[in-house]
Amino acid sequence: MSCAQAAVREPPASPLLTLRARPRRIALVGNANVGKSVLFGRLTGQYAVVSNYPGTTVALTTGRMMLGGEVCELVDTPGVTALDGVLSEDELVARRILDGDRTDVVIQVSDARNLRRALMLTSQLSAFGRPMVLVLNMADEARSHGIVIDAAGLSARLGIPIIETVATEGRGIAELRDAIPRAAVLRVDDPHRGDHARAAHDLAVQFRRHRPRSAARIQEQIGRLVREPLTGLPILALVLYGMYLAVGVFGAQTLVQLIEGGLFKQIINPAATALVNRAVPWAIARDFLVGEYGLITMGLTYAIAIVLPVVATFFFVFGFLEDSGYIPRLAIFSDRIFRTMGLNGKAVLPMVLGLGCDTMATMTTRILGTPKERLIAVLLLALGIPCSAQLATILGILGGVSFAALATLFGVVLTQMFLVGFLAARAIPGERSDFIMELPPLRLPQFGNILRKTLLRVRWYLGEALPLFLIGTGLLFVLSRLGLLTKLTAAAEPVVAGLLGLPRDAAAVFVMGFLRRDYGAAGLFQMSKAGELDGVQAVVALTVMTLFVPCVANFLMMVKEQGLKAALRILGVVTMIALGTGAVLNAVLRGLHVTF
Amino acid sequence: MNPGMSGRVIRVMRENPDRADRLTALGVTPGAMVTVLQRFPGVVFLCDHTELAVEPSVARAIVVDVE
Repeated sequence: MSCAQAAVREPPASPLLTLRARPRRIALVGNANVGKSVLFGRLTGQYAVVSNYPGTTVALTTGRMMLGGEVCELVDTPGVTALDGVLSEDELVARRILDGDRTDVVIQVSDARNLRRALMLTSQLSAFGRPMVLVLNMADEARSHGIVIDAAGLSARLGIPIIETVATEGRGIAELRDAIPRAAVLRVDDPHRGDHARAAHDLAVQFRRHRPRSAARIQEQIGRLVREPLTGLPILALVLYGMYLAVGVFGAQTLVQLIEGGLFKQIINPAATALVNRAVPWAIARDFLVGEYGLITMGLTYAIAIVLPVVATFFFVFGFLEDSGYIPRLAIFSDRIFRTMGLNGKAVLPMVLGLGCDTMATMTTRILGTPKERLIAVLLLALGIPCSAQLATILGILGGVSFAALATLFGVVLTQMFLVGFLAARAIPGERSDFIMELPPLRLPQFGNILRKTLLRVRWYLGEALPLFLIGTGLLFVLSRLGLLTKLTAAAEPVVAGLLGLPRDAAAVFVMGFLRRDYGAAGLFQMSKAGELDGVQAVVALTVMTLFVPCVANFLMMVKEQGLKAALRILGVVTMIALGTGAVLNAVLRGLHVTF
Repeated sequence: MNPGMSGRVIRVMRENPDRADRLTALGVTPGAMVTVLQRFPGVVFLCDHTELAVEPSVARAIVVDVE
């Protein structure tokens, strides 16, 4: 045994600092949704993003905590369901952390209402031989459920300290800190020989009592209302409408007007132009910064004034839905539909997130069970889900045309997605995973948490999207300078004008549209405002744009998640479908003499 | 089982071992108390204070003794 390990067995409250080869490492382990991240925050004084979904916390969070005068390293491992048997990527990571001498003390965090499940994990943890403490979190909710756990008895039986906590309120934290030095290796009396379920069951039966529950709980009632179809679907419609109001009206209109029309148009852009004209001697550099395809006048303006407000509002609303526990209920409704497309209800998460930002949603497809599902989800995201900036423009343009126009677009896009999903499910080899989802309790989210999550996501977005906006603008600048833009546009014209029946200027918009879908959408918006597009053209143009791959950022994320070959194939398929559908739609609408 | 009915899990069928493992890890083990909350559009049940939603074929793998 090394010096570092010998030090762990020392009695607590030693006034002398212990000399170690490296700081003591403590790992937080536990099922998902037990409050590990909140506990992490309480112990380190830093906050980690709390999220209901496994896979959203894949990256490890490490922090420093003070324990009795010495600094320890605290690691928050991803939520795991098991540590034995067939394991997911998260679980393998957790295992690796527990193995070897990477961890000195394990704190298993559990939901006090789920003692059996927790004990199953505890039983599996014994295999690692690390000194541990068991935390029974959410002790208040357990008590109100009528659950009484004999913590002292269980602690004596297992030989480890057991602490009850309410992490969100900071209760029990001090007791936990005192218990860590007393951490011990689990006493394993194993009549069941590795049958963790049996062991957990027996222990639970022995040390847990149920008191009859007090009056019917509102939570249950609301939970029922949300998931039963009769009440659930109207609630869903309300939620969607609410989202539209928040993101489409407040975000896309109010905020954008404020920031673009006010801040940028009146203050920033003129100031920047004046400054550049005075300070920069070379015409080409001036144009690069504040010209037609200027970095500031176009790139920055679009990124911050137009896209950011909408995306930020979306992330906020999404955070609310996430924290309230509503999204898993959505999964129940959509599971049947998704199953016909080779996915399952879990896919509802990336799909809904895609309405905010397809790039982030593509990253989230990691939570899906099998490679086949991940591929189909990425394909469908690229194909049909309009990101919020684009949705705003669609609503802006077609909202002013007619409801029928809007309905046609969504109808065509949804049908395409469904068809493609259906065919892909058959064409792509592989399995799909079962739909098994835990429904976290419905609760009113805390504003502070939602805000923190939103800020984190907005910061990610600025880090990822902003540079690409600027690169895209830069590229456009270079292309236009080299005369290539006109050449590309000319090459695209026969397709755009001939096949799709759009005005020739639309070609430039589409070319720009690949670099950033929202550019394209915004360009179309200008055209429609100027009266250059008639109803049918607007519908066709926007349908094709929606079906197209969203933007370079999304394409790069696809490469990251699926590999270059697959991403290129998806790009090809999607482009063909987009153009083909546009052509057919154009022919059909014109042929039927439809006017919007 | 229909909504409102309860029972104890006898066993989880192992035709699909991954499925069985996932269910077990979530707490669906022999002896656990199960109450069905809903069957349409998806099967939702309460298992020992955990609310779970599954697709029909998964539900069929759980053998329950109705009380």
